[in-house]
Amino acid sequence: MAGEGVQGPRSDKAILPRRAVCLLPLVLIAGCTGRQSALAPAGEDAAQLKLLLLVMLAGAVVLWLALNGLFYYVTRIRPGAFHIRHANRLIIGAGVIFPTVLIGALLAWGLSIMPGQRAPGDGLVIRVKAEEWWWRVEYWPQGSDAPITSANEIRLPTGSRTELRLTANLYIHSLWIPALGGKMDMIPGRETVLTLHPQAAGTYRGQCAEFCGASHALMAFETVVMEPDAFAEWLRAEAAPAAAPGGAGAALFRDEGCGACHTIRGTDFAGTVGPDLTHLASRVSLGAGIMQVSRDDLKRWIAHTGDIKPEVAMPAYDWLSDADLDHLATYLEGLR
Amino acid sequence: MRLVLATLAAVAALAGIVGAAVVFLGLFDTSARKGHWKITDWAMHTTFENAVAWRADADPPPDLDDPALIELGARHYDSACKMCHAVPGEQASATIAAMVPPPPPITRAVQPWTPQEMHWIVDQGVKMTGMPAWPTAGRKDEVWAVVAFLAAIQRGMDAAGYAALTAPAPQGYCASCHGAQGTTRAPRLDILTPEYIADALAAYRSGARPSGIMAHAVAQIPPQRDSELARALAALPGPADPQPKAPGIGETLAGAGRKGVPACLACHGVSNENPRIPRLDGQGAEYLRAQLFLWRDGHRGGAARHPLMSAAAQDLTDAEIDALADYFARK
Repeated sequence: MAGEGVQGPRSDKAILPRRAVCLLPLVLIAGCTGRQSALAPAGEDAAQLKLLLLVMLAGAVVLWLALNGLFYYVTRIRPGAFHIRHANRLIIGAGVIFPTVLIGALLAWGLSIMPGQRAPGDGLVIRVKAEEWWWRVEYWPQGSDAPITSANEIRLPTGSRTELRLTANLYIHSLWIPALGGKMDMIPGRETVLTLHPQAAGTYRGQCAEFCGASHALMAFETVVMEPDAFAEWLRAEAAPAAAPGGAGAALFRDEGCGACHTIRGTDFAGTVGPDLTHLASRVSLGAGIMQVSRDDLKRWIAHTGDIKPEVAMPAYDWLSDADLDHLATYLEGLR
Repeated sequence: MRLVLATLAAVAALAGIVGAAVVFLGLFDTSARKGHWKITDWAMHTTFENAVAWRADADPPPDLDDPALIELGARHYDSACKMCHAVPGEQASATIAAMVPPPPPITRAVQPWTPQEMHWIVDQGVKMTGMPAWPTAGRKDEVWAVVAFLAAIQRGMDAAGYAALTAPAPQGYCASCHGAQGTTRAPRLDILTPEYIADALAAYRSGARPSGIMAHAVAQIPPQRDSELARALAALPGPADPQPKAPGIGETLAGAGRKGVPACLACHGVSNENPRIPRLDGQGAEYLRAQLFLWRDGHRGGAARHPLMSAAAQDLTDAEIDALADYFARK
């Protein structure tokens, strides 16, 4: 983790600050592990991007060493005037031919792998629309004519390529799941396409990667990669209506007008302004990747939306009593 | 040069001493008995006229001669303004006539002004006279009701016309605007719950729901009677039920909303049982329209839940507001 990299032996206080500064990059490298890292790939695309990065890095290191070696050679090892023929060879060979070949080869290889990043999907299409600081997600299995709607979470099967069709409501956003692939901008009124081929089941964090407004930093989501069978099972459950409980919570949800903005399939609540809540309780996170689907977080969110997520469209229901918030949380926790 | 500076300094010091003497020794006679000098009167009134002419720029609504708007203005005038400006054919009391300057009777007061100018005067008031500003800022729409009435005075409304317009309702003060005989510019209350009405009265009182007309009206009633009054108002007979509902943009929008606009009926429909959310079916179209504009433009306050409606209305277009007002005005 981040803290471990900077803990050196406390032998000499005088040189410690300088040593600590040298170790600072390690803090950044520590960020390159885990569930939001392009250097810990869990999919074909991310693996290729990692390879691309490493090869480019190696090429850059070779160029850097050769150039500095040459400087060292002409200033320290063999100072003084060169014969004109040697000088020309050096300039043309090391200054023109060598970098052209190296950079040309890297470019050719880099371009050759680009089509792979846009390979067509194997059938499943997921449409993601970036709203004002949350994600509207629709699953379109091959051959379906109506979507299975969800929000703020993307689930993908391993072993096949899924097509993500992206757009945005008002502002330009960018979808990035570093462990699975590259970024793709999401632009209002246009559709961009990203395809992903995950290989390892697990939960990976995604994030809006284009500054989009007040709550840009709070616009994240979890990507759950599942084995194909588990995914199919989950998608079947997701397509089903909610097992919505009744009781005081359901009455409050109705009487506070929540259904004007939120859909819960299987009930009368059919609003489309905000996220679909049909299977809220089976999601990994709340509020677009910033909170847990727990009683405390649900209550805190309902009563303090704008404090938690600036400029969010949902008004803060700060007039609800603690008992009412409890009822609502019970209801929402039952949406499986 | 030094002489000039010294003279100026001496004059300034003298002016300061005289000014201080006026303020601290009471040399200026503030008695209202003798009124102003003629030249003071002239200077102040001319300044006032020019100040109004320069600043009055609000566009009057197209329906300034709507009888319901005139009636609302007349009812407010009758309650809030007639004490000073009297009613057509009458004179203010001797006490009011002794003010400096004396408030002109209304038939004379309205004569020189355009509707824009009357709007500015009623909205802003006049400093150094007894004329107050409108009790709440940001409700220029309400002021037009009074201007509509004043324009009717300009057109020659007489004592009989005024009396007919402001006749008290048998059920009392509130019912003269709300209810079966009320003006359609004021909301009917029989479709509301006592809880909602009590919240609204409290919001008018605290200023959370800004309205110059209602701030004046609730001030006539002691706050401890609000809940009793709310029950009585909810039981007030309403106007005859209007046209039946008709399909259209309003119905679609109310039932299903659209991108960025939540469905109205999720809160205002019959399935919602929250007594603190108003029923709208059969409410006056003009009232609904005016309120929706206030909501959308951020001038409407209210009780605890008002942020819900502010958020819901912020995306509405003018045409949608018209369609929704028409939809909910039907029953």
